[in-house]
Parts: sequence; C-alpha cells; structure tokens
Amino acid sequence: MSAVLKINGTEKVFDKGLPSNLSELLTALEIDAATVVAEIDGSIIERKEFDKTTLNEAQSIELIRFVGGG
Amino acid sequence: MAPQIFFELKNAVVGIAGLGGLGSNVGVALTRLKVGKLVLADFDVVEESNLTRQNYFADQIGQHKVDASMENFRRINPQANLEGRKVRLTPEKVTEVFRDCHVIAECFDRADQKQMIVETVLTKMKDVVVVSVSGLAGYGRSNEIVTRRVSDRLVLVGDTVSGTGPGVPLTAPRVGIAAYHQANAITEILINELHTKLAR
Repeated sequence: MSAVLKINGTEKVFDKGLPSNLSELLTALEIDAATVVAEIDGSIIERKEFDKTTLNEAQSIELIRFVGGG
Repeated sequence: MAPQIFFELKNAVVGIAGLGGLGSNVGVALTRLKVGKLVLADFDVVEESNLTRQNYFADQIGQHKVDASMENFRRINPQANLEGRKVRLTPEKVTEVFRDCHVIAECFDRADQKQMIVETVLTKMKDVVVVSVSGLAGYGRSNEIVTRRVSDRLVLVGDTVSGTGPGVPLTAPRVGIAAYHQANAITEILINELHTKLAR
C-alpha cells in the first residue's frame, strides 16, 4: 500500500508503505544521520530518538543537512 | 551609524562556537559593531595552514585561537568585553558556555559537530537563536551563498551542498562571504529582535 510524506516541502510517495522509523527513512534517502537535524510537524527530533520515531501518513518532515567546512 | 543601533547592540551577548575561518571573521565584524559581549569557544591552536582563510597572523602560530582572537579583537576595540573558553564543545558544554547568549554563531568545520550544536541549541536552550553555516567550500559562485531563516530560532547560511573534500578546498573569499552573511544575519536579529529577548 503506498503512502505519502512531505519532505522539505515536496510530497514523496512510498510505493511499499512508509519506512518503519526516521532512521529507516534517512537510510532510504541515503542521508547520514550524523549530519542532519530533523523536524516532524514543527517539532525537533533529537538524533538519539531517530530509531524510535515512527512515521505516519501525511506528516511534514524537514531535514536540515550539514556539509563540512568552516 | 545611527546611535539607536549602537544602543540595541550594546546589550547583546553573542556566542561564537569555533574560531576557524568562520568564527575568527564573524568576531571581527561583531567587534567593529561594538556588540556588548562575545563568548569565544575553541580548543585549537593556530597553525600555518589556517592563515589561508582565518583571521590570524604569522606571528600567532602556536597560540590558542581563543587567545589570538581576543588579542586581535582588542586591537580593534581595547574595551571589547570578551570571554574566552578553551573547551571542546559537547552538548553539556554548549549549554553551560553559552548560557547567557542571545544568539550563537555555529562556526565549526565538521558536519557532525554542526549537527550537534544546532540540535543542542534547538532542544535545550529556550529562546536562543542559532545562526549556522552549511556549504561554503570552493571558490566563485558568490551568489549561491544565501541566508535562510529556517524557523524562529534557526538561520542557515551557505549553498547547502558545497562540502570540503578532495579538490574542494576552503578559500578565503568564499569562507569570508559566508562569515559576513553570518555576521549580518546576527546583526539583523539583534537590532530587530533583541528588545523582545531582553524583555523576557
């Protein structure tokens, strides 16, 4: 069953259902969890909670990604 | 500059997390603006390779960046109110070292360190704004470096994609552009929003 999340303002369809948690979503998107600050429906999710944070249909997820240099 | 702008800035406390290419230059701009107090945190010492883009001088090689920066900023303004902390910042240290700050400039080099401080400020430090940088490596493409207000408490500077890597060095001009975007965003926040922060 397909499901939808809004990621950084763009709707993304998951044909085989949602990833089971936020960590799985980042893996699917090929994003290193150590370099991202995540917000779900306006609330910041701490990195140590990514594994335990389940996802629901139609949630709005902001992924703020950091690259090195400074 | 209008006197009322000085008035807004003189009550401000700004934290600078990391005194490399970003922090050493952000500090110069904020010192020239006479921001009330700067809290400077870094554990590192000045190396010759830093001189390509960081605000240090050849005769400061080997000094702690905190000491060298305080010396440089006081050459601009001998009355500058500066607190230097030679610490490796962890989440616990971030909340302690920067507890009195209205705004924190994230000036680290490593992506995971940037993540750590932004997450810590947003989850543990009520009302503090963090101005962070992601994507400044290379040269040229000046106009791809932008300042974006992600939320009430997070400003993100950079092109979001240009990380350091093989063949992608950090250069003085592009790091400088990002640092001054960062300093300008901080100035704007302090002038427009500090009165509401001080009232709390």
